[in-house]
Amino acid sequence: MDVLVERLVAGSTEGAVYALIALSLVVVFRGTGTINFAQGEMALFTTFVAWSVIARDLPVWVALLVATASGFVLGALVERFLVRPVRKRNDMAVLIVLLGLFTVFNSLDGLIWGGETKVLASLLPNGPDDYVALGPARIYGDTAAVWIGTVLVLIALTVLFRCTRTGLHMRAVANDGEAAALAGVRVGRVLSLSWGLAGAIGSAAGVLVTPLAPAQLSLLTMLAIFLSAAAAALLGGLDSLVGAVVAGLSIGVLEALVIGYVPGVGSNLSETTVLVIIVLVLLVRPQGLFGTKKLERV
Amino acid sequence: MTTTTTPPAPAVAGAPPRPSARRLRLVIGSTRHRLLVLGSWLVVALLVLAATGLEPYRLGQLSGAVVIATAIVGLNVVTGYTGLLSVGHSALLGVGAYTTGVLVVQLNLLPLITVPAAVLTGALVGAFVGLPSIRIRGLYLAMVTLALAVAFPEVLRALPEVTGGNSGLSIPLRFLAPPAWTGLTLADRPLWTFLLCLSALLVSMLLVWCVLRSRLGRDMRAVRDHEAAAESFGVHVARTKILAFTISGGITGLAGAMLAMYVGALSPAGSFTILKAIELLSGLVLGGVATQLGPLVGAAVVVYLPVLLADVVQGQGSGVLFGALLIVIVFVMPEGVVGRLNKLWRQRVDVVPRGMPAPVADPP
Repeated sequence: MDVLVERLVAGSTEGAVYALIALSLVVVFRGTGTINFAQGEMALFTTFVAWSVIARDLPVWVALLVATASGFVLGALVERFLVRPVRKRNDMAVLIVLLGLFTVFNSLDGLIWGGETKVLASLLPNGPDDYVALGPARIYGDTAAVWIGTVLVLIALTVLFRCTRTGLHMRAVANDGEAAALAGVRVGRVLSLSWGLAGAIGSAAGVLVTPLAPAQLSLLTMLAIFLSAAAAALLGGLDSLVGAVVAGLSIGVLEALVIGYVPGVGSNLSETTVLVIIVLVLLVRPQGLFGTKKLERV
Repeated sequence: MTTTTTPPAPAVAGAPPRPSARRLRLVIGSTRHRLLVLGSWLVVALLVLAATGLEPYRLGQLSGAVVIATAIVGLNVVTGYTGLLSVGHSALLGVGAYTTGVLVVQLNLLPLITVPAAVLTGALVGAFVGLPSIRIRGLYLAMVTLALAVAFPEVLRALPEVTGGNSGLSIPLRFLAPPAWTGLTLADRPLWTFLLCLSALLVSMLLVWCVLRSRLGRDMRAVRDHEAAAESFGVHVARTKILAFTISGGITGLAGAMLAMYVGALSPAGSFTILKAIELLSGLVLGGVATQLGPLVGAAVVVYLPVLLADVVQGQGSGVLFGALLIVIVFVMPEGVVGRLNKLWRQRVDVVPRGMPAPVADPP
């Protein structure tokens, strides 16, 4: 029983990580109908930026702010100058540009910061005694930071989309770009804002997540996380914020349980588990759990 | 020999530079057309002959490029002609390579005998990978295939008894020696490998050439251009997609078998990661999507560019340049090198079947 609780806590923490990145994917998808394949690597880049800030003896929250701001700028620039010009052409052009970015950012990280693994400090105190006991499970500072971060981002995004004029514009653009433009929405600005926002969320997630990641801060940190997050975003339905969080948590818990209880799979097939989840979701319910079904007209 | 290649050259070089000017007419089956075709084949033969005289190291490098070209030919079938984005071809390449590797190392079979098995498993896995494409496409399919590419090395690591796990497999050199009937010795191994890889490439290109001229080839392009319209005209979309993936998987599996013979050692972290899949896709885009010669140009670029740049930038730096190049290509030359050349050729030359009436005089 104690082991089960520990696994559930560990799984839902991992799930909160996926949920955060999935939220950034959802924000991009709602804006431009694109899956940002470079999201993970962009977040990795800004996380390295955060590491550099901390290495200059500045506090972690400053690093978080710097990373988030640079993530915003990066996302907005990528949308404006790389994605927007090719988006109308076809999916392949977008995919190639994003895979090119994926390669550029990953190699750039290696070029600037080197291949060796780095340790990123946690935002909340993370010593051996800094924990809250939850039954038999202990929640340390790094875990708590991820949970709090996910809840805050979800609330902030919900408020943004539901209660603000900007959010209304974003929803209008997602629904029908041309109609929104006719109604006076500055579509280009809204799209850049979506990507910037997604970049900011991804970057914040990167800083919060890295202290927990098994690979710490290395060139491989984000690949596995991005994959699971993408599975979460697909499972939740790519346009649903709540869906992303629910699916992220479910996938995290599911992974923890599969690794813990299915013999033979163990921790060395976690990415294959994710692959199976993605394929099943897309085959059985392509619109995801909470997504809106897309109609196609000829 | 050289004299036969010269006649078509002035005809091409003498063509007017502007598309609006008088275009060159080339009738299929005419002497001029035949000479041009013969000339191109002669150039190819001369190039191959010249390549066999290369020093072993350069020849090995060239074999590597030929293997990558074969894999890109396979990728072109699904992504180029059928319009299904695949970021998972590194896994199909790995399936072929590991089929050969496992059969040779575990069962002591001769590598050549394992080639059909590699093609077959490649085709089977390809068909299986193609299943999701019936319901999803575009970036969703790219997502699935990307997950496949990431999961594949993990599967290899999880089956250490078969695949050798993390340390991989190494094929003993005695299996890779040229067979006695060729008259080549072990020292000629690079030449033997090169000839094998080259035959694999030619067979693959011939297969694709035939497929494109068949009904299946037309169905594939119809599905790519407008799926719903193709279906309403009686194209069996699901079957077409699965067949495209099967053929593509077979060709990529063949490339994998060649890779196993050329490298001799296989490991999960080596040639079968997501980066290889991106490399294949890059080669396809650089060379020209849905062109028959594009894979050759693309493979040459992805294999030789890092080598050429090795003096200027090293390691990670070449990754940055490579990714940047990929983005630049999408912006300035989305049709790829061969696509652009084809376009220029079509602007200047009309290739028409025999018996076509002469064109009416140019409109004013």
